[in-house]
Amino acid sequence: MLDAYMTALGMVLDPYVLAVITASAIYGLVVGCIPGLSATMATALLVPLTFFMPPVPAIAAIVTTSTMAIFSGDIPGCLLRIPGTPASAAYVDDSYQMTLKGQPELALGIGLWFSVLGGLFGTAVMMAASPAIADFALGFGSVEFFWIVMLGLGGAVFIGSSTPLKACIALLLGLLIAMVGMNNPAGQPRFTFDSTEMLGGVSLIPMMVGMFACSEVMRHMIADGSAPPVVVKKIGSIFANMWRLTKQYPVQLLRGSALGTIVGIQPGSGADMAAWMSYAMSKRFSKEPEKFGTGHPEGLIEAGASNNSSLAGAWIPALVFGIPGDSITAIAIGVLMMKNMAPGPTIFVSNPQNVYALFLVFVIANLMMLPLGWAIIKVASKVLTVPRKVLMPIILLFAIVGSYAINNSLFDVGLMLAFGALAFVLEENGFPVAPVILGVVLGPLLEEYFINSMIKSDGSLLGLVDRPIAAVLAAITIGIIAWTIISSIRGGPRREVTAQDL
Amino acid sequence: MKFNDLVAGLAFILIAGLIAAGAWSLPNPSQQPLGPSAFPLILAGLLAFCALLLAWQGARSVERGPALALADWARNPAALVRLLLVPAAVLFYIAAAETLGFLLTAPLILATLFLAGGVRPQLALPLALAAALVMHSIFYLGLGVQLPWGPLEPFRW
Repeated sequence: MLDAYMTALGMVLDPYVLAVITASAIYGLVVGCIPGLSATMATALLVPLTFFMPPVPAIAAIVTTSTMAIFSGDIPGCLLRIPGTPASAAYVDDSYQMTLKGQPELALGIGLWFSVLGGLFGTAVMMAASPAIADFALGFGSVEFFWIVMLGLGGAVFIGSSTPLKACIALLLGLLIAMVGMNNPAGQPRFTFDSTEMLGGVSLIPMMVGMFACSEVMRHMIADGSAPPVVVKKIGSIFANMWRLTKQYPVQLLRGSALGTIVGIQPGSGADMAAWMSYAMSKRFSKEPEKFGTGHPEGLIEAGASNNSSLAGAWIPALVFGIPGDSITAIAIGVLMMKNMAPGPTIFVSNPQNVYALFLVFVIANLMMLPLGWAIIKVASKVLTVPRKVLMPIILLFAIVGSYAINNSLFDVGLMLAFGALAFVLEENGFPVAPVILGVVLGPLLEEYFINSMIKSDGSLLGLVDRPIAAVLAAITIGIIAWTIISSIRGGPRREVTAQDL
Repeated sequence: MKFNDLVAGLAFILIAGLIAAGAWSLPNPSQQPLGPSAFPLILAGLLAFCALLLAWQGARSVERGPALALADWARNPAALVRLLLVPAAVLFYIAAAETLGFLLTAPLILATLFLAGGVRPQLALPLALAAALVMHSIFYLGLGVQLPWGPLEPFRW
């Protein structure tokens, strides 16, 4: 293992990889900082570029960008009361109140410092837990994997969503889109309408770029684009009080990081849900809950650590089982598959150095966040005033060229537009978009596992549950679904959490 | 453009039906018991079921509203035009990129979108040119993507 880590370290410390990490870090920080450009969009736009990179820098770019964008989403939340990414929405009141009190440096410092600590915590858990889980999962057959995919999809639809029925429809839509092409157990072309471009299935990259970037541009076009003015001009010393706060609130830091990691591991709930849950938990256990929402650091610390730790947590099921926990890891899994590095327990045996390289990228990205995050905060008031009426057309052109670049195909550009329009209409009507992506990424696997399991059991559905681990996984999956249905019939309290950033 | 749940549900039932019909007629040359049509049929069935639930919920709810409620932006012609500019821009790129080449098509699209978004004209054109050149450098020089040159072919670099 140590050998593999040394190899991995060599791979990551390669000048080209370091340059990619630095560039993606700056890119992620800037995009996350601009309200209206989400971390998911930042990641999706990057995918066409990663297509041209070797596996390790490609995945490093994705990891670094998403980590940075989740943190820098705190900046407009603090300065403008507009969360830059949905993950920052939970504590935007507290941080904006601090700004109004003339302490923006305190809110931003907490966002930065505790994001780094939370991110490192989640990374440590990921490094310790995933090889062990992978070892355990090596004995899994198609039946177990079928239920793991089902659990992942079920979690995404039934836990992470405020409208389970609509999420379910979105998921089925995604699974059906994945049926296009001849990449199926029978090797038969399906739903291709006799087009040769469709034989290989719907290309993932134009689809993701369309759904997360093109649709975003459309939404911008119908919104009135005037950003509120930045009131703060001067930001004081960022790290001044951080050590004192760390000593004052160690429990909150640990609790936030731990809960965030767990929420991240659980499929279907991402950084935004982690932040909401941690903020609520912090308020509940606080000695001074009445101060929450008035510029109190406690909830900010817990939720800020939580959303960054969840990012690393989401990678555990992604790496070990190939099950994305949110849409960013879904994009990342798509990239890994493209690089012939399909995640799963065997990757820990066949390519451990690549997995360890990914772990190290997480560590480096979190450490790099300190100086680079400090720098972006210092120039934040300038970045925030970059007019979106200039950015959005450029993003659209980038989406066009990025989709074209993969196969030099104008067909893919049309595909990008079609999926952009689809995502726009779905979101206008309250259907979450993330399940569609999860469905498309996992659809071929789900079908393969299902058909293989059925062949092994001679077509008997009992074959899906006659192995102990499979039976347990099946029971959990069905339990989650049943619980959601029962509680929605009883009309139980709806959670405020949305699956926007899923 | 918000459809009520009844309409959305019915639309998805229709989609599920079309998919099921398409899956049903798939050939199964090797006569497998679970051929290429099995899984799509299961999914289409589930989709129809969920869509039925949605339609039922929509039909039951009191404050259902009209079949198609127009959001504020849809009644604002300026917003509507700006929205339609997005597909128009993409379709224009698909139609014109090969003949006009990237370095003419891209600045045209950008300049149009900038002007529509309210960027000052004396700024829009240089900005469009600069952005297109940067993007061209990234993809053509940096990544080796063969972006079309069109009439600028003699000036290829």
